Amino acid sequence: MFAHLPILIIIFPLAIAFIIIFLFKKYSPFLSIIGVTVSFILLIRFAPFIHKGDELLYHLGGWQSPLGISLSIDGLSFFFSFTVLLVGIMVILYSIPEKKYNHNYYFLLLLLLSSMIGVIFTADIFNIYILFELVSIVTCLLVAYYQQRVALRASFNYLLISTVALSLFLLGVGSLYSMAGVLGISSISKQIPMIFAENPKIITVSLVLILTSMGIKSAMVPMHGWLPDAHSLAPSSVSAILSGVVVKLGIYCLIRLLYGLFIAGDYHGYFGSSLQLLMIFGAVNIIFGAMMALAQDDLKRMLAYSTIVQIGVILIGISINNTTGFEGALFHIFNHALLKSGLFFCAGIITLQTGKRKIKDFAGYGEKNPFVALCFTILSLGIIGIPPMNGFVSKFLVCLSAVEEEHPVFAIIIIIGSLMTAAYFFRVIQIFYSEPIQSDKNISTIDCEKSYLFQPRIFELSPIFILTGISIIMGIIPSLGLSIVSPAIKVIFSSLLPVLP
Amino acid sequence: MDNSKILRTIAQKLFPFILMFGFYLTLHGHLSPGGGFQGGVVIGTAIILLALSYGVDETEKRFKENNLSILEKLAILSFIFLGLLGIFYGYPFLRDIMPLGERGCLASAGMMVLLNIVISIKVAAGITGIFYTLVKYRGEL
Amino acid sequence: MTPINISLLVFMIGLYGVIVKNNMIKKVIGLAMLNSSVVLLFVAIGYRDGGMAPIIDNQTANSIGTVLVNPVPQALMLTAIVVSISLTALALALVVKIYAKYKTLDVQRINKE
Repeated sequence: MFAHLPILIIIFPLAIAFIIIFLFKKYSPFLSIIGVTVSFILLIRFAPFIHKGDELLYHLGGWQSPLGISLSIDGLSFFFSFTVLLVGIMVILYSIPEKKYNHNYYFLLLLLLSSMIGVIFTADIFNIYILFELVSIVTCLLVAYYQQRVALRASFNYLLISTVALSLFLLGVGSLYSMAGVLGISSISKQIPMIFAENPKIITVSLVLILTSMGIKSAMVPMHGWLPDAHSLAPSSVSAILSGVVVKLGIYCLIRLLYGLFIAGDYHGYFGSSLQLLMIFGAVNIIFGAMMALAQDDLKRMLAYSTIVQIGVILIGISINNTTGFEGALFHIFNHALLKSGLFFCAGIITLQTGKRKIKDFAGYGEKNPFVALCFTILSLGIIGIPPMNGFVSKFLVCLSAVEEEHPVFAIIIIIGSLMTAAYFFRVIQIFYSEPIQSDKNISTIDCEKSYLFQPRIFELSPIFILTGISIIMGIIPSLGLSIVSPAIKVIFSSLLPVLP
Repeated sequence: MDNSKILRTIAQKLFPFILMFGFYLTLHGHLSPGGGFQGGVVIGTAIILLALSYGVDETEKRFKENNLSILEKLAILSFIFLGLLGIFYGYPFLRDIMPLGERGCLASAGMMVLLNIVISIKVAAGITGIFYTLVKYRGEL
Repeated sequence: MTPINISLLVFMIGLYGVIVKNNMIKKVIGLAMLNSSVVLLFVAIGYRDGGMAPIIDNQTANSIGTVLVNPVPQALMLTAIVVSISLTALALALVVKIYAKYKTLDVQRINKE
């Protein structure tokens, strides 16, 4: 049974999803928790195997590699699917007490988790397109779940932009397939030197198309327009999973295709210049995102622009050709998934308890619910990058690698970004711990009493508590987090070392 | 939807032939371009042709929404079950466990025929369900 | 005119529709055109000179010299057409819902509120 685990990790949430809408509509929260937890435990069983550095290849249907679709679990896939399932469990825990979520919501959530793990595990380039399209369709449905006016508009916008991005991706795949004739990622990478010798323009075309499409999906700055609307107008648990892991899926495909396909052979001329391009995109992300976040007065929109800033940090970390930088970037992906999900959960509870969405209306929230305000403070310290938290470790590693590679300007940009992050988060924290405005209490006493009635219970508070706890522990003992990241580094740099000058 | 007599008669006479064409596409999926999805869409189109000429309410009395929904979910669960059958026999997921016949014959290619049939049922039910939701309920489901 | 050139041309026309047109239905039509351009690329790649459609019956199975067009891109494009239909269906359902709430199909008037 151990050899069949890759497909079981993907199939199990999918089967539970269809059983939920067919038979057990009432028990959907508990069945979905069981489904995702079982998947998570099955994934953990791989951990000692991955730590040795082995890779598990699973051929679907028994068809061997050039003919059939195969799944592969190596260090990078294990790291990303670990992040996805962890955030997934927290999101399902958070959404259990909400009575407006019926069986359709849990069905969509399980389908989303299952197809994300499908994108991460697959080793076939056309399969990435199919499963990524499934991810974007289900994301559109989840963003428009409450069918409010503005959420429908945001969802339609996101659908259009995502389809353009994935059609570009498929055009790139098609131009590569026209010369290579096979579709597996490792099979194409063996043929790239021959393709480059025959017709180098095809490689340029496909590289540009794939870079553009993955740039749109992972919100690099000129192409980030869908992100603030989609992430701020969705329900809070959906925002958490969107900002936490769905955006990182584009970065995963970027890493996998750049380092798996386009680096083969003597080809580092194009590869090096695309890495420089990613560095510039990362820097622009940080500056632009931080400036826009300072100008927001809606809490969830500010958190969405903060996601753009952190993706800039991750892009700088990926594109510096250095082990330290890559470690920092991957660890930052993990940290940001935990921290941003926790922040969106807090924002959800705050919005439900005060009934308002703008930051200036949250005055005195620290007194109303000290636990959530404290967790918000600790999590935002993590995103800013202040020492006992995990965000400090990952941002420090990226800055260190920027200085090591003689590009100190990027370290300065990351530090300026962290200062601006501190500016907009401290503004919110200060408003939490200040006095409520007196006139509000006199005028609308009925609203105040009604909002005091909503008390978050254990299901909504425990994910925030667990995420804060994990973040603090990862910050104090960074080697725990880096031990998950190091097999991924070994996988990527084993393909890189023969090629670098 | 204007119900003209010519349209109703032609649709009624053509309906079994379109269904037959859909079954042909499904069952010959391993021998010609086609397969589960295309056959399912043609079967769904046949039902939609009836709905366009007779009116959606009439057609819904014969192809009920509830039954279509149950068929859809049963079909996908049996697809997963057929895939897992391979695991129970010890091979990887979706392996052919039926006997492979000779090339060019209808009963060859292992499990693909069964999978094609299951997919065509699901797609036909799905397409008709989409049509009902958009036209009958005007998107208000 | 290689396959990639023609396919990019159709892609650009579809992209023009998605970006410039104000009516939402026209944007959805542009979306369907984007997906069709990719299908065009893949099927054009699989063409072999003088080949016939890849249908295997007893005649072609037993003879060796027939040239068939490459069936693998066609199989891949069957899946891509499925995805395209789902996207178009979802986009149209969203347009129906948005029209019910906003009472207009003009994107500029919707974004103004």
